[in-house]
Amino acid sequence: MSSALSGEQRAATKRGRVASFVLDDHRYVLLGTGVVAFIGMMLSSQPRPALSFLANAFTVELVMYYLLAAWLVVSAVALVFKLTHWKNYAATAPFTKPAVARVLRYASYVVWAMTLVLIVDRVVMGIASAWQVAVAAESRPTDDMLQSMCYILWNGRATFATGLMTTIELAVFGTVIAFFLALLLVFCRIQTIDRPDNDFVRFLKVVGCGFAKVYSTVVRGTPMMVQAMIIYFGIFGILRTTDLTTTQINTIWSAFVAGLVTITLNSTAYMMEVLRGGIESVDLGQTEAARSLGLSQWQAMRKVVFPQGVKYAIPGLSNELIINIKDSSVLSVIGTFDLMFANTTVSGIYYQQFQTSLIVTVVYLILTLVASWLLGRFAHHFDVKPEPFGSSSDQNIVIEEIEPVPVRDGENHRRGWGQGR
Amino acid sequence: MATVNASEPMVRIEGLRKSFGSHEVLRDINLDVMPGQVVTIIGASGSGKSTLLRCINLLETPDAGHVWFHGADLAAEHVDVNRLREKIGMVFQGFNLFNNMNVLDNCTLAPVTLKKMKKAEAEKVAMGHLESVGLADFARASVSTLSGGQKQRVAIARALCMQPDLMLFDEPTSALDPEIVGEVLEVMRGLARDGMTMVVVTHEMAFAKTVSDRVVFMDKGVIAEEGTPAEIFGAPKHPRTREFLSRYLDD
Repeated sequence: MSSALSGEQRAATKRGRVASFVLDDHRYVLLGTGVVAFIGMMLSSQPRPALSFLANAFTVELVMYYLLAAWLVVSAVALVFKLTHWKNYAATAPFTKPAVARVLRYASYVVWAMTLVLIVDRVVMGIASAWQVAVAAESRPTDDMLQSMCYILWNGRATFATGLMTTIELAVFGTVIAFFLALLLVFCRIQTIDRPDNDFVRFLKVVGCGFAKVYSTVVRGTPMMVQAMIIYFGIFGILRTTDLTTTQINTIWSAFVAGLVTITLNSTAYMMEVLRGGIESVDLGQTEAARSLGLSQWQAMRKVVFPQGVKYAIPGLSNELIINIKDSSVLSVIGTFDLMFANTTVSGIYYQQFQTSLIVTVVYLILTLVASWLLGRFAHHFDVKPEPFGSSSDQNIVIEEIEPVPVRDGENHRRGWGQGR
Repeated sequence: MATVNASEPMVRIEGLRKSFGSHEVLRDINLDVMPGQVVTIIGASGSGKSTLLRCINLLETPDAGHVWFHGADLAAEHVDVNRLREKIGMVFQGFNLFNNMNVLDNCTLAPVTLKKMKKAEAEKVAMGHLESVGLADFARASVSTLSGGQKQRVAIARALCMQPDLMLFDEPTSALDPEIVGEVLEVMRGLARDGMTMVVVTHEMAFAKTVSDRVVFMDKGVIAEEGTPAEIFGAPKHPRTREFLSRYLDD
């Protein structure tokens, strides 16, 4: 510890007094854990929930309470000591002696452990108790908010479950289908006229590229809620002109199908732009090298540019799933039974908009957290990992920094070559 | 290469013009490259050297004029550029190796895709070329682990795998530090000795002097002077050539 002390002092001059005061080892132990101890004491003063296991061990909790209080006193003494011996604290304070510092560190672990026990006893068991009461209750408990929320969650569980499943289905299927559509669309979008192309191919390329541009502009420039209305009622209207009855139409063209179509078409436009961004960020030299070997534009795109561009696009693409989980909520406007629709339904039953929304918020948050964790794991497979030198894998893709090119002729005004004339 | 008629020029450039916007980069270029010849193009930056080279395999589309390669006009509308490019290898200043592949796959991509070669056969050919540039040990290495000089040698091997009749070099050593320039130039010397037809844009005057059969000096989009290395370096006629070369001779 003595060597650490001199290190501490050196660091103190570098970091500034306040920062070092907070960060230094034994002071962190004393002051930081002091806050933890205070939280533990606060929890201990809360009324015990019905399922509290410490209710049967009153003495244990009393001892814990006074131990935490003692820790606060020690912290306070240390603080006073520091304030009075600012300059020579390290040399004079008893807290910095190696043996004392070690004991204090171990004691800080005990403080953490006691506070954790109290958190479980008061918070976790508190929720469990509320749940127990709510499940058994005949009508919604009105005096306790936690019990009320548990009651709503329990009694609306079927509705919430349906909504949750629909939201997941919409987000997952919508994103996956949209990815493949976006692949198609982005290939239309990035077409440029190549010299060997005949007039028919040129015409197709111009039309394809134009369509992709217009599609992207329109879809990204209008709200998804409006798109949902247009698609749902538009196609419904078209189906009405056939011999089908309204019941039959509702089976074929349900709110779920319409919602899925909306979210897919919407996501396609965004994913196309993400893919295009990835593809366009691949160095033009890659295409030129491929073309110089005789590969056609399509071959160069498929074998060289696209595999690299998709790597750049992966973060944006996976983000689209998260966005779709949240944005599917607007589909409740056409009656798609998603989590938001469940929210409206359940809160209508109990007249508790705030509490129901709070439940749904937590569910959405859990969904997006799980999704982003899964996507992180998934992206890790593709991600940029440095390969050992001379490795035999052909999977290694390392996104390279652009080489510094010292001499660059002014004549190389790059432009989309092949577009000329 | 056996079918090449040695008395006919392999590349004939006639009245080539190219401008970027209002800036005229190439003004009426005429140039013949005979089979087996090594032609170096020298000149100041911005004189149109690289653009001229890129017009030969149509990475830049000429505005006017003709580029005849084996009797086919590359500048004609709807010409099958891809077929002709298979016979023209190109080496870039920035290497442009495919970052999503290892060294061997860089070399085999074009033969497998275009010549419908079996993968194993293409790999055998590629290993031969990698051997000749001294990089056979790096066949399975990721492109990013190579040094600049190694990358450029792989780029040369990659171009050779298509068995080109003509090799274009666009300032192949400009992005390399002086110490590793030598290893790339050595490979190019070997190619020249083997009788490869080459057009080289370079700032390496020693290379131009010793290896090339003809030196072309370009200035402001025109060929100011051309001749044998002895003529250009020994007794330059054009004042611009003299001025340009004096800077190099000072070093």
